[in-house]
Formats: sequence, C-alpha cells, structure tokens
Amino acid sequence: MARKSWMYSFLEAVQHEMRADPNMVWIFELTPPVASNPGMPVINLETEFGRGRVVNTGIDENWMVSATLGAGLAGSKAATYIPYQGACMPFQTIQNHAGKLRSMTGGKASMPVVFVLEMTGQTPGMAGQHSDYEIDTYYAHIPGVKTVIPSTPYDAKGMMASALRDPNPVVFLYPAGLRQLIEEVPDEQYEVPLDKAVVRQEGSDLTIVGSGASMPEVMKAAETLKAEGMNVEAIDLRTLKPMDTETLVKSVQKTKRLLTVDQSYYTLCPGAEVIARVAENVDGARYKRVAFPDAPPPASPEMFLWMRPNADHIMGAARKLVG
Amino acid sequence: MLDNPDQEIMGAGASRHSGPSRRSFLKIAALAGAAVSLGSNAAKAQGNIGFWATDLTQEQLLTMYTTILRIRWHERTMVDKMLTDAKYRGYNHFYAGQEAVATGICAALRNSGGVMNADLVYSTHRPSGHALAKGVDIKKMCAEMDFRATGLNNGYAAAMHISDPEVGFIGADGMIGPGPVIATGSAFAIKARGSDQVVVNFGGDGTYATPHFHSSLNNAALLKLPFIYVIENNLYHQYAHYSFSCPMKDIASAAAPYGIPGVVVDGQDMIQVYNAARTAVERARAGEGPTLIEAKTYRYYNHSGAPGASPGELGAFGYDPLAISSFRPERELRDWMQRDPVNIARDVLIAWKVVDRARADAIEAEIRKEVTDAFAWAAEQPLCKPEDGLKNVFVEGTVEARQFG
Repeated sequence: MARKSWMYSFLEAVQHEMRADPNMVWIFELTPPVASNPGMPVINLETEFGRGRVVNTGIDENWMVSATLGAGLAGSKAATYIPYQGACMPFQTIQNHAGKLRSMTGGKASMPVVFVLEMTGQTPGMAGQHSDYEIDTYYAHIPGVKTVIPSTPYDAKGMMASALRDPNPVVFLYPAGLRQLIEEVPDEQYEVPLDKAVVRQEGSDLTIVGSGASMPEVMKAAETLKAEGMNVEAIDLRTLKPMDTETLVKSVQKTKRLLTVDQSYYTLCPGAEVIARVAENVDGARYKRVAFPDAPPPASPEMFLWMRPNADHIMGAARKLVG
Repeated sequence: MLDNPDQEIMGAGASRHSGPSRRSFLKIAALAGAAVSLGSNAAKAQGNIGFWATDLTQEQLLTMYTTILRIRWHERTMVDKMLTDAKYRGYNHFYAGQEAVATGICAALRNSGGVMNADLVYSTHRPSGHALAKGVDIKKMCAEMDFRATGLNNGYAAAMHISDPEVGFIGADGMIGPGPVIATGSAFAIKARGSDQVVVNFGGDGTYATPHFHSSLNNAALLKLPFIYVIENNLYHQYAHYSFSCPMKDIASAAAPYGIPGVVVDGQDMIQVYNAARTAVERARAGEGPTLIEAKTYRYYNHSGAPGASPGELGAFGYDPLAISSFRPERELRDWMQRDPVNIARDVLIAWKVVDRARADAIEAEIRKEVTDAFAWAAEQPLCKPEDGLKNVFVEGTVEARQFG
C-alpha cells in the first residue's frame, strides 16, 4: 500500500498480468508504457518484457486496435493504449468487428482484449481536437463491448485487472485530466467489478451521477453542498456498458431528485441514459442534466472554461432541483 | 554554415551556371521516380542547387529571405515569451530548424486568390512556418495564438487550427492521419473543375505509418491529381525516432510503388527545396500527377512548447519531461545546427550578390522589429466573450448553453 498516481496504479495491473501470462502482448505508439512513483521501482513494460511482446508502432491506431483484436482471436491476451490523438481512428474495428464477432460466430470468437483509449486532458487553449470529451458516448453505444471509465487510481488498477481477465473485449477509457490524481493503492493485484457503479457519498436530498473526468468536480460540489446542509448522494458510474441500473434506481427512489453531470456533449451524453433508466423505474422524480453544450470546444480559455461543467455549475443546478 | 561559409558559397555559386542540361537531368530523374539520397553534407556537393532558382528575380529571392527570417524570429520570440512572460498563455509546436522547407515550397506556389484560385496548403500541428510562408498575416496569427477575439480565427483556433483560406492556407491540423487524404479531395475537385491550382500537404515522418499516407498517394496517383506530399523528416515523431514507423531510410522511396516521383531534398536549403517544389508544381499543373518530396531536416526544439530551452538561446538542449524514456542526443541537435537554414539562405544570397552582409543584417533587423511589433499588437487585442463559444457550430445561429443544467 502506497500513495500512487493513476498511471502507476494502472501499469501495476498490466505488469502483474503480463508476468502471469507469458503470451500477453501490449501495443503502444509514441509514449512508452513507463511510470514512476516515489520510493517504488520504475515500471517500464518495454524493457521488462522486451520488444517482442511490447511493441512501439508507428502512428497507426487502426493497426494497433485491429492487431490487438487479431491477437485475441488467435488466443493470446492482448491490450493496446491509444493516445487521445487517435481515439476514434479504430472505431470501425471495435464497432463492427470486436463488438459483433461474439454474436456473428455464435459465441466461438476468442477476444480477451482491452482497448485503452485515452481521452484528452481538456486543457484550456488546446482547441477542438485536443480539448474534447466525447468518446464515452460513442463507445458506450456498441453492443458486445464493455465500456468502462474509472475515475480514481484505485479503480484504474482494479478495473484494469478485471478488464485483462475478462473474456470480452473491453474499452477502457482514460480521461487524461485525471493523471494528477494520487491516492492509496494496494501493491497486490485486486479486481474491481466491471458492472458496478459506486456511491461516493451517501445522502437523501439529491442524487448526483457522474463519471470519468466529471467526478472531481462532482465530489467538490457534493461536499460543499453537504457542508451547506444539502444531503447529496454522489454516484460514480464507473461502467457505461453494462450500466448499473440497480444502484441508480435505488438511490433516486430515496432522493426523488436526479442531477447528471457530464463533460461530454449534452445530446446522448451518458447522463441521458442514466435519466432514461431511472425514469422508467422511479415515479415522481425530478431531473436535470449538466453537460458540455453541443459545440466543439473553442481554443480561447475564456470561452472553454465557461462552457466546461464545473463545481459551480453543478451546485447551481442542484439548488434549482432541491430549492 | 558560419563554420564553413566558403564551401557552401562555392556549391551554390557553381551550380548557378549548371544550366538546362542539369535541369533536364533532374526532370528525368524525377519522372523516373528516382530517390536521391543525401548525406549530412547535402546536395551542394552534387551540384543540385540552382537550376530553377536561377529563374527567380532579385525581388523573389529577397522575399524568400524575409520569409525565412520572419518564421525564425516568430519562433524565437514566441519561445522567449513562453519562457519569460508568466502571463503569456500561447503555446506552439515550434518549427525552428525546418524553416527552409516551408519557405522553399511556398515560394513555388500561388499564394493569393482564395480557395478557388490560390494553391492550397494543408498543414500540421507544427504550422506557424507554413502559415507565414503562405502569406498569413503575422499580427493576426500572433493574436490568434494569444487567444484574442480579433485573431486570425477569432480565438477559436489558437496555434493548432489556424486557417486562412484567402491565401490558400487551409490550415493547421492537430491530428496525424486524415489531413493528406482530405487534401487529395481538394486536388480532385480542382482537377474536376479544370483549375490549374495545386495542393500541397505538409506532413512529418510520423505520417508514413498511417494508412492515410498510402491512401493519399494511391488515390492521387490513380487519378493523376495535382497533389504534392511534402514529408518533413525531422527524424522524430514526438519522441520516437522515425525508424519505429518506417522500415526504409528514405521515406521518398514510398513513391515508387505508386509510380510517381519520390524526391529526397536537403531540407536545410531553401533553394534546393524550391527547386524540388517547382518541378513538382509544374508537373502537377501540367496534369501529370502527384509528387512525394522528402525534405531531410531537424527541429531545434522539443516536440511541443519550449521545455529544455533557455531565453535568448536558439534550440532546446535541456530536459523535456514528456520525453519519458526517449531523448534525442544533444550532439545530434548541435550537428544539425551547423547547417542552419537561415544561415544557408543568407550565405547563398550573399554569394549570388542579391544582398551584401550589411544589407542582409539590416533586413534581419527590420524583420525582428516587425515580429516584435506583431506580438505587441496581439497583446493589446481584446479577449473573447465566453458566450461566443456557442457560436460557429453551424453557419447560422448559436447552440444552447447546457453547462448550467
């Protein structure tokens, strides 16, 4: 147990599985799978497992994802890490192949594969392609692929371990804005389930549901509102597909008010699915959605920071719902 | 070439008189798809300089000189601003070291008349050199990179998406992949409407590995499109050496399977780059199809921003935390700086008696002032209004704010 960064925790899970399974391969481009943590050994998958198993490719996300799937079909556990520059380049392979092959082969396809897709850090000023936050919606729509989005170093490690042991293709979303997070993470391998949301703060007045990069702001808002006397229940979705309807419904049955928070665009954001599922199961509740407007993020920090949902926006919406 | 000016001047001067036979040889070589490999001492020894460049007027040569200086001093001024001015928010992927490529290529292009008449340039995440060489207004570009409402793209683009269709600069692009394929679409439209425009796509060595690289060459060759793919091989895509993405020494070799010319050119020498570009442009305008040009060059700064750089010093020699486990050797950078594109340009123009040293220095001082003034003008421009972020989604109207619930 030590305080660890997101990337260190995540690579610990990968390192453990690669040590356990000599057939497992890892494909990356540009940035090597390396992480360091104070007082702990540097993790470097490339040097530890060699370039035969850990491959640095040219810039070709289509190959990276397709080759990972192909390795799985040939019976090897495989994973790839796609930087956010190319997170939608391999969409076809995930959507039309990985997502459908189990069904199309009548269950015969072997796909123990993980596609780690980095999402941007939403750095103000980078504009459009380098500040967006949208692929949660795209990938969560695909049947046959589990789409998960841990928001803490602890969950990153546990969910990566589960993803690598899961016989289904998993899209593992990593919002790079969370790279600064540090928390206590066990040294041994452990699993966090790929189908369970988690209640981060219990309350009875209002349910706030977020995921991924929205969670730090959701928690900030939830804690501030609690200090002000509003009993907020905060839920971290963690998995978008399959979505943990039970945890959501149970919470809103209690609070009767649901606020969803997404950094993704408003239309079809994960919160839209959350509200739909709850509305089908809970009578008499009230709803609100905080999301990024249906606009590409502009470069100017003045525009971008006004548009990106933050704790103030969340608290404003919460007060409208509860007040 | 300050260290060895005589050799450079001799090379440039001698080849100036090489005349039509040299010219026709190169044209044949180009048409045959010959890839000419260049050592670090470059083409001057092979006498490749000057067969088209001799057609350039004094004025055109001076314009190329001011262009290469404008790019260089924009780079250096912006680097220093990032390093010394805590309030400055601009960033860039710096182009310093590669200036001769943009300067030489764009000198062979038509740089006005909008998308219906100008030659079109598709740029990259390292766009400021291409933009300035194409004729983008430096003041408006500085304002854009400083997130100003009166910037080239009203504060929506910043460095990585600057665009000015009026001069044929389709724009920067933060992604590696689709750019060249989209560019062939422009070339297709141009051919279909019977225009004589050409389309140039700039890309780095990293683009070789993308399927898009091969798609663009294949389709441009199949349709004989007026398309020129300029690979600026600065040896590294981000922090990885290009040998991780291309199994060949010369990326220009990739032209052969498509039956089009693949030309290696000394990317440190704007005259050589111009010659290669001019050949490719004439071929494209004549309806003979695409060309792949690989300019061997080097960037003086790290992949992004100015980590490892010191104020007032050209080049980044220090630590870049983003490089993680792959660092380019300092002596490699120092070696390339021995053949600095700005010094080579100056020495060639002095050798050709376009300018003397005093005049060359005076021009440089004028350009430095122009650049300084542009940054000062940019800093006085108004910031964007937050709610304008809801504009420019569609041509008409605004979208709704959704962040307040």
